[in-house]
Amino acid sequence: MNNGAGRRINGGAEEDDDEDDVNGDLDAWERTYTDERSWESLQEDESGMLRPIDNQALYHSQYRRRLRSLSSTAARIQKGLIRYLYIVIDLSRAASEMDFRPSRIAVIAKHVETFIREFFYQNPLSQVGIVTIKDGVAHCLTDIGGSPESHINALMKKLECSGDSSLQNALDLVDGYLNQIPSYGHREVLILYSALSTCDPGDIMDTIQKCRKSKIRCSVIGLAAEMFICKHLCQETGGTYSVALDESHFKELILEHAPPPPAIAEFAVANLINMGFPQRAAEGSISICSCHKEAKVGAGYTCPRCKARACELPTECCVCGLTLVSSPHLARSYHHLFPIAPFDEVTSSHLNNPNCKLQRNCFGCQQSLLDPGNKPGPAVVCPKCKRYFCLDCDIYIHESLHNCPGCDSLRHS
Amino acid sequence: MKFHIEDVTVYFPYDHIYPEQYSYMIELKRTLDAKGHCLLEMPTGTGKTIALLSLITSYCLSKPQSPMKLIYCTRTVHEMEKTLAELKILHNYQIKHLGPQARILAIGLSSRKNLCVNPTVVAAKNRDSVDAGCRKLTASWVRALAAENPDVSTCEFFENYEKAASAAVLPPRVYTLQELRASGKEKGWCPYFLARHMVQLANVVVYSYQYLLDPKVARIISKEMQKESVVVFDEAHNIDNVCIEALSVSVRRQTLEGATRNLSRISQEIDRFKATDASILRAEYNRLVEGLALRGNLPITDNWLSNPALPDDILKEAVPGNIRRAEHFLHVLRRLVQYLSGRLDTENVEKESPVGFVASLSSHAGIDQKTLKFCYDRLHSLMLTLEITDTDEFLHIQTICDFATLVGTYGRGFSIIIEPFDDRMPHIPDPVLQLSCHDASLAIKPVFDRFQSVVITSGTLSPIDLYPRLLNFHPVVSRSFTMSLTRDCICPMVLTRGSSCSDQLPVSTKFDMRSDPGVVRNYGKLLLEMVSVVPDGIVCFFVSYSYMDGIIDTWNDSGILKEIMQHKLVFIETQDVVETTLALDNYRRACDCGRGAVFFLLPERERNFSHFNEITWNSHVCCRGKVAEGIDFDRHYGRLVIMIGVPFQYTLSKILLARLEYLRDTFQIKEGDFLTFDALRQAAQCVGRVIRSKADYGMMIFADKRYSRHDKRSKLPSWILSHLQDANLNLSTDMALHIAREFLKKMAQPYDKTGSSDKKTLLSQEELEKLGDGSMHEMSY
Repeated sequence: MNNGAGRRINGGAEEDDDEDDVNGDLDAWERTYTDERSWESLQEDESGMLRPIDNQALYHSQYRRRLRSLSSTAARIQKGLIRYLYIVIDLSRAASEMDFRPSRIAVIAKHVETFIREFFYQNPLSQVGIVTIKDGVAHCLTDIGGSPESHINALMKKLECSGDSSLQNALDLVDGYLNQIPSYGHREVLILYSALSTCDPGDIMDTIQKCRKSKIRCSVIGLAAEMFICKHLCQETGGTYSVALDESHFKELILEHAPPPPAIAEFAVANLINMGFPQRAAEGSISICSCHKEAKVGAGYTCPRCKARACELPTECCVCGLTLVSSPHLARSYHHLFPIAPFDEVTSSHLNNPNCKLQRNCFGCQQSLLDPGNKPGPAVVCPKCKRYFCLDCDIYIHESLHNCPGCDSLRHS
Repeated sequence: MKFHIEDVTVYFPYDHIYPEQYSYMIELKRTLDAKGHCLLEMPTGTGKTIALLSLITSYCLSKPQSPMKLIYCTRTVHEMEKTLAELKILHNYQIKHLGPQARILAIGLSSRKNLCVNPTVVAAKNRDSVDAGCRKLTASWVRALAAENPDVSTCEFFENYEKAASAAVLPPRVYTLQELRASGKEKGWCPYFLARHMVQLANVVVYSYQYLLDPKVARIISKEMQKESVVVFDEAHNIDNVCIEALSVSVRRQTLEGATRNLSRISQEIDRFKATDASILRAEYNRLVEGLALRGNLPITDNWLSNPALPDDILKEAVPGNIRRAEHFLHVLRRLVQYLSGRLDTENVEKESPVGFVASLSSHAGIDQKTLKFCYDRLHSLMLTLEITDTDEFLHIQTICDFATLVGTYGRGFSIIIEPFDDRMPHIPDPVLQLSCHDASLAIKPVFDRFQSVVITSGTLSPIDLYPRLLNFHPVVSRSFTMSLTRDCICPMVLTRGSSCSDQLPVSTKFDMRSDPGVVRNYGKLLLEMVSVVPDGIVCFFVSYSYMDGIIDTWNDSGILKEIMQHKLVFIETQDVVETTLALDNYRRACDCGRGAVFFLLPERERNFSHFNEITWNSHVCCRGKVAEGIDFDRHYGRLVIMIGVPFQYTLSKILLARLEYLRDTFQIKEGDFLTFDALRQAAQCVGRVIRSKADYGMMIFADKRYSRHDKRSKLPSWILSHLQDANLNLSTDMALHIAREFLKKMAQPYDKTGSSDKKTLLSQEELEKLGDGSMHEMSY
């Protein structure tokens, strides 16, 4: 978790477009230092001693804040599980800047890939499309669909950056597409914006109002600095706006969009949706898969309606268009509806209290909660079962496990 | 919330208070206790106004026996409205807690232009014509005429107000200008005269600096304010200039020509009166013999201007014999105008002291000092006698008489400078004769003498020890407060040289360096780099018009401007007010819609004096009044301010040289000290506009190597200095760029508004009570 060092390195060397001739002028020894800026990962303490920046605490406090903001709305909230998300990627001139290593666009592509996989993992019932902005024009790179591979492949092929960026064009395009989708779906746009300005053909305020009317939730992740118009867009449409500090922060921010958002009240009506649960084909059986158009041995899924073969789930059947999922996918969506309550922080005096002698170890990993110097370290407590956990377990329980070991063991015993 | 400062219970209308507001109130309270004057510097955006209002009104409430009054002076109508709105919130809160006994009367007084409700009068285009339009309807002789002849029109609002007589009073509450107009309309009373009447009764009066500092106006409006009043000058960083302007006169060719026209018109009027009704002139003569002081009982509408800062004894003297008769007075004025136009014909720059000028005037034109002294009053009296109402036509002769009176009255602190042409345009003859005041303390002295406490406050009053010397007074408290912030939301930097990968050439607008192409290119590069990393709005200040023109020209030729335009739109301030207002409007739109923009601006001083004042005062005239009111570049309208160069005054200006000499001789202020002080005050004023509240953030770049020197830098306000890290004192372009990127990213992160426990920036009532008086002091530093 010592991402701080890496973070600094990446955020470090900052030059502009004329990066190349900059490095040309420097001596070799200088270059290593300008690239690393190792001095920035140090900070002075009260007595003037140097010490590495305490990223652990920073990281955890960020996580706590996120958790709090997520659970600030009531615990048992209806979530929009069927999402139609357009990812808008800004491929303007600014995206080729190299303040992220190797370049902004490479970092974006890498994390969009992880995001798409994570997104389908968490929202097996949802669909994604990709739009790019280049030379002031927005293009639809992939239509909205349920197959992660096709999106990722299409994106990786088109990563050249040039020209200006236009927020309005992108929003108009996405608005046109999202207006056609069924009413039970949640319309969302996630904009990854590198540029610091937008060159629009008309009044962007009108477009924002249009998006607001069609209930499109627009979120923006900026890569450089806070822009007023993006903030305004997010406020108006109920999305979130964040700016990435560095690569790891960017990853965090983009993955925050993977869990489903709270449902919009008007759309929260019961609805029936057609869905297929394909069977896994027997090992060794040979068939032509409909997605790659080539013969494959074993490990495929058969569409229950048209019997076409698909390589992986979730996807949409290429032949009959049925949404194909497996039951574990549905089960995976389930935990969004019943999240575990965030744990409360424990004050240090509590740990010292002789009455709670038992609770000196983390209930999860059984590690001692005390510092090496036998002083109470940071800890959290589950509000239901009152078990104590260390910070690492806290994150693990909330982000991966989705069950509280304390509560579960209580129920069994 | 409600809390105690020593023996005073302070009513504060909000649930939380900033620690610096609290310490500000403590200092203010001490000043009031000591019945002295004070200087307080606190950054904008920390709630200075409400702290002031809430403490002073609470102080009055706690001492009901003393007839204390608050006189609050603002610079613009917009600020006046804001102050009244704050006061209203406060007043409602006090009434809620104390009941009807807390009721006060608070009004704002402004010019007729802003208060008139008569549709025919207020339609006029500027302030002077509104004044004249009003007089045409309300002068005593017009009304007398109307009484006989119903065809003569009068103002119904004024008539109603006169009819109501002493019944015309406003019930106590807080009136904004808007509400004053509304209630005037509703009752049919003229709001302007009502306000002028109510000023004597009100507990809180909010009006412009001029009403106290300009002796012509002050003697009418503010003469009945009681000694126990507390006077507040808000945003007073330029107060010395306001004082000086109030006593300076400049005479041009046009003025003299206009004055000659006015004189012939007056002489026609005199002939007409002689033919019809000579007795009026005779009556005036008799009145003048008895002395000016008896003139006191004129009707309210007739006294429009009064004598500029005359010592009281003059008023008790009789007007000298040689100007008592109207014709004689006209002769004197004609000779004066002739003499002045002779002086204007000079080829050389001339500088003279008032004493020398009067001596030469008396030998050449035969006008002695005493006659000069009375010119202004004599003209006033003559115009009243001749029943002239279109006073806006007579501004020229008024200027001449104003000049004459000032020259005749003051022997020291002034000088007369005649310049045959503007230094910057030597080919165009534009002779100007200026009577310039060098001593700011002359105009403000009556205020200090008269009122118990005078509070001078602003966001930028550094170095705070210079103001008492300039204004010649002894403050009992002078303090500078810093802002308590939850995060470091301002980022000042001193940029001293170009990019470390190119020439590293030092940048400066020093005279010998400013035209160096390398320096110009480095400034261009700086801006170019910055537009590519800073979102939304950037404001860029230049030291002068000529410098701005030159540098933009060069940038245009070398293509830098074009490259800048790829990132952001460029707007430039021009000397045309309407054009600049339009540019500002579009600048804001560009920032709003995400296109991003750069605004090239000049420091306040560089603008023609009163140029922007004019916009703000006459904000109703401009169709885009909303844009013009107070040009702040806060939030996304200004994420970065670049101050290119040190905005020194034009040091070859004769007026400045004369003033520097005077300051050195009289107050022992060194020339260099004053120039640096003035330049840094301008710079701080420019960059200070980037942040207007604690939630905001912004960067400031001082792009000149001279800022890194301690003697310059240390004169910046402490709230900027405290954020200026040593590491940021000597930056090159690329280092600044790096810092900017990091800063902008850091500031874009969500943050906790109330501050963590060790860095408390908002105090609730309980927390405030917990803090003993002792510990409070540590916090404020």
